[in-house]
Amino acid sequence: MTPLLEVRGVDKSFGPVQVLHDVNFQAHAGEVTALVGDNGAGKSTLVKCIGGIHPIDSGDMLFDGAPVHVHGPRDAGELGIEIVYQDLALCDNLDIVQNMFLGRERRSGLVLDEATMEELAEQTLSGLSVRTVKSIRQQVSSLSGGQRQTVAIAKAVLWNSKVVILDEPTAALGVAQTAQVLELVRRLADTGLAVVLISHNMNDVFAVSDRIAALYLGRMAAQVKTADVTHAQVVELITAGRSGDLGLKNGVTP
Amino acid sequence: MRAGPSQEDIRRHNLGALLRHVHLGGPISRAELTTRMGLNRSTIMALTSDLTAAGLVREELPRETGRAGRPSLVVRPESSRVYVFAFDVGPDRLAVARVGLGGAILDRREVARRRGPFELEELAGMLAGFARQMRRKTRDDTVCVGAAAAVSGGVRKGDGVIRFGPNLQAEEVPFGEELGRRLGLGLPVSVGNDANLAALAEHSRGVGMAVRDLLYLHGDVGIGGGIIAGGHLLGGHEGYGGEVGHMVVNPGGRACGCGSSGCLEAEVGERALLEAAGRLNPHPDAHQGREAVRAVVDAADRGDIRAQEALKRVGDWLGLGVANLVNIFNPEMVVFGGMLREVYLGSAAQVRTRLALHAMAPQREKLRLRTSSLADDATLVGAAELAFAHVLADPLEALARVQG
Repeated sequence: MTPLLEVRGVDKSFGPVQVLHDVNFQAHAGEVTALVGDNGAGKSTLVKCIGGIHPIDSGDMLFDGAPVHVHGPRDAGELGIEIVYQDLALCDNLDIVQNMFLGRERRSGLVLDEATMEELAEQTLSGLSVRTVKSIRQQVSSLSGGQRQTVAIAKAVLWNSKVVILDEPTAALGVAQTAQVLELVRRLADTGLAVVLISHNMNDVFAVSDRIAALYLGRMAAQVKTADVTHAQVVELITAGRSGDLGLKNGVTP
Repeated sequence: MRAGPSQEDIRRHNLGALLRHVHLGGPISRAELTTRMGLNRSTIMALTSDLTAAGLVREELPRETGRAGRPSLVVRPESSRVYVFAFDVGPDRLAVARVGLGGAILDRREVARRRGPFELEELAGMLAGFARQMRRKTRDDTVCVGAAAAVSGGVRKGDGVIRFGPNLQAEEVPFGEELGRRLGLGLPVSVGNDANLAALAEHSRGVGMAVRDLLYLHGDVGIGGGIIAGGHLLGGHEGYGGEVGHMVVNPGGRACGCGSSGCLEAEVGERALLEAAGRLNPHPDAHQGREAVRAVVDAADRGDIRAQEALKRVGDWLGLGVANLVNIFNPEMVVFGGMLREVYLGSAAQVRTRLALHAMAPQREKLRLRTSSLADDATLVGAAELAFAHVLADPLEALARVQG
């Protein structure tokens, strides 16, 4: 099966510091790929390279098997790649619909097409079986952490996106809301999207992922099927870059 | 000896199949039914008009289709007119729902149950009372076509007797008969095991739709299970099948309510988790049930080491149990419901580690692990499906009987 999104041999340096070394990464449609690694392993940098925020120094990016060049977030958006950052980038003083269409408002003539936007927002939320939000005209400031996360995810899905990248979506949430967000993450993939989940919580990773990609000091230690590995192996990949036959050999990707 | 199904048998089968499409799939156009059922247009028309005349479905013009030509009529279930009563008897809660054809919950009552002996008459009386209250609020043209109950225990298929229910403290209780008598609707009450029915619910309306081989694990005080194999619930010879909670995973382990020891239920159930977390309080009014389980998962998330260890331990046993079941049944999906939803999400690393170690590679390769999408309604929804079963088997006969 061709991965929907693939990067090959990506290098990235900030000045004298090389952050990514020859990184390969794949995300498949219909699957959740967990991207794990210690602080500073390069998770966020990799994601920002994919999203077009950082230009890559060398390496290739393929979308649905075809080579593509992403020069900015707009290019990534056009391919159908959406990233939900930790801070969510929602505007507190706007309601859910306004947030979901922020900067990409629908117009009919000179005025905003509120009815269509409302309908699309409603459809997206119900398509994701989101029942926790009372009204889509609610201001975002009145929402709980889990609901905000849900709105940010729905906003990413609204644009017929094909790849959704979530940066620590459950980090600031309580148990009940974490459960809802994890189930939403799983549903996104079950509807056919390629989902990339960055997380430090091993239970979250094992609960919803199909594959695990472990970064170690800027190198991809291993990309494995979740069904084939144990918790201990993943922890070793994260902390030492290798585990038995898995992972880096002498500190480099074999 | 019969040569084959008669015309009448075929018609009955087709009526049931059409009604099942509308009941489970919701409003659907005649044209769509023609393709799905592989019957010709005039047959579909004859079948829908029979069902319409019986008052089970109605036909409407669709909203603007935006396409040329005369639009095909849409067949809808008569959800507000034709309904069943669904009951749920769990260790900690009693619930009654009035569920319309098509699966919509039209009305419901729920009360907490105090853990204690199973008082048949008091309990049946209370449930029947709730149903009567709901019935009084309905319009005159509504019709109740069935009733069924989900109970946390082993139920004999033939007569709805609860044979054993350690967590309800019920043994040899003729529950179906008593509830039917109290309801006074002239309808028999079907009774099923709650986890079996929740499995059916997830299979027909939940996360396992279109999944033909599914394993459902239900956590309450104990651990129940339902196995869907090839699209059918595995009930066993007398209906006691699927008791995955009493699979022995740890010989000589913790004592189980069933009299054995080391059962999956004894190692994974509420009591095991609370005890390991140092939160077991024997006082009857103490924090117990779902709330207490949630509190452990919550504490673990906040960094409580004892709670984390307890979840790890329980997750280990749960994973071992699931690995055994996956090896035997090769399901496409395993669904965690009831309190196991929280337990799975809080201990997934352990559960999947055990699967990686003990489940065989071909069986785990395409296995999907999911949490219940019907959540706390799964058992009620399953009971409603059981109550509708005879209507879907023979729609006209079932309706004639209640309107008789």
